[in-house]
Amino acid sequence: MAADTVFGSSHVLDSSSSTSSHPLSPGAGVVPAIENVVSTVNLGCTLDLKAIALHAPNAEYNPKRLAAVMIRIKEPKTTALIFSSGKMVCTGAKSEQQSRLAARKHARIIQKLGFDVKFNGFKIQNIVAAYDFTFPINLIRLANSHFKFSVYEPELFPGLIYRMKQSKIMVQVFSSGKIAIAGAQKRDEILKAFENIYPILMSFRADK
Amino acid sequence: MADLFCPECKKFTEVVFDHSAGDTICSECGLVLEAHSVDETSEWRTFSNESADNDPVRVGGPYNPLLSSGGLSTVISKPNGGSSEFLSSSLGKWQGRGSNPDRNLIQAFKAIATMSERLGLVTTIKDRANEIYKKIEDQKLLRGRNQDAIMAACLYIACRQENKPRTVKEICSIVHGTSKREIGRAKEFIVKHLELEMGQSMEIGTIHAGDYMRRFCSNLGMANQEVKAAQEAVQKSEELDIRRSPISIAAAIIYIISQLSDDKKPLKDISVVTRVAEGTIKNSFKDLSPHLSGLIPAWYATEEDIKNLQP
Repeated sequence: MAADTVFGSSHVLDSSSSTSSHPLSPGAGVVPAIENVVSTVNLGCTLDLKAIALHAPNAEYNPKRLAAVMIRIKEPKTTALIFSSGKMVCTGAKSEQQSRLAARKHARIIQKLGFDVKFNGFKIQNIVAAYDFTFPINLIRLANSHFKFSVYEPELFPGLIYRMKQSKIMVQVFSSGKIAIAGAQKRDEILKAFENIYPILMSFRADK
Repeated sequence: MADLFCPECKKFTEVVFDHSAGDTICSECGLVLEAHSVDETSEWRTFSNESADNDPVRVGGPYNPLLSSGGLSTVISKPNGGSSEFLSSSLGKWQGRGSNPDRNLIQAFKAIATMSERLGLVTTIKDRANEIYKKIEDQKLLRGRNQDAIMAACLYIACRQENKPRTVKEICSIVHGTSKREIGRAKEFIVKHLELEMGQSMEIGTIHAGDYMRRFCSNLGMANQEVKAAQEAVQKSEELDIRRSPISIAAAIIYIISQLSDDKKPLKDISVVTRVAEGTIKNSFKDLSPHLSGLIPAWYATEEDIKNLQP
């Protein structure tokens, strides 16, 4: 069954890759593009959110909805949620280094407002990547044969949610052939998940 | 009228039995020999042709394994006459105070029963839903959630497990406290926890348009020919690559078949019965258009009928 060959097949199949444009394992350079990196950092001091909201440029503060200030910067194009405890969440960056840079820039904004800011415990929490297979995929057959890993509820969400057994990575597969890989904390987790899912999705192509 | 020994007369005397007071009285001196005799004859008469629902011999509901002690325990209810005697009202209060561990369950079962009544579901499905609810209730994780959503989700899962799925929108219309989103989230929650608890026995397969076809057609009052044609069309549509929810495809096929027949159901009616938006049915129809000749069985409509179909 395809399910049993998921973990460990890609190396075996490498040797039998054909000359077609879609061999059973991703060729060199075929990697999903990272779309979003979410990271957290502790600024190490309590903050006055009202003061930040009044003085910082591009700041949103709506205490009834969320107990945090939202600050957006243009380069790298990111949004940071800053909490009164001093903890900050930075979202929207396109790579891990950019996320770190953006977090530092946000911290600099807070520092300029006069707070004693540190940069403790920067950690990447989530990396989201996307890839387009360009061929339609038959989600119903995929859900039926990989029922242990997939959840497909067309009434609730048009994409099939594939959760790998060994890792906590989640892959959303859409019938257009586009996929989104999320839940990784490191780039190679994404690559490994991609290598695992590549042959599976190849076998469920819907076009001739 | 038996002879008993009367201690006053010191001999066996004739004895009169007073039925109204239940006393056995010595006929010579009038001493009451035995009082409070219990009448063991039948309290009511049962005839063989009387309805079986109202059998006075039977009390209470059937044995329910989901409730603790089978639901057969005795409960003291309020007296009917409205007598505010100290004893009966206090007893009722003491009984009501927290001695019943099943109260939540019983309430929830009642609510699920009402819901399944509104949908016209079989008792099997209702019992399944009760079972599922009990399993979740055991884990005490659903305290914060919307109770209506949890019960609706139990019903939804039960219908799916019995291969008689109901769309989330149908269940949504029956239960007034929830939205489609909440029922969906509750369903995910329940499935996840049941899988954790029971292993892999929670295999509810994906939905297919064919499961709903029969019901939608019958609700719309379509003729037998049309229903058959619709079911065949749905079978064939499963092989095609159409990126629409199976419910929308079912609605679109019903629309096509209905337009091809003599009795054309208006789009509005189909939209109401299937709970699919009119725009969605139109778009699904456009998606299906290139494949129409393959979908519709030849005995039902000719090529030119299909060509004459307006989008």
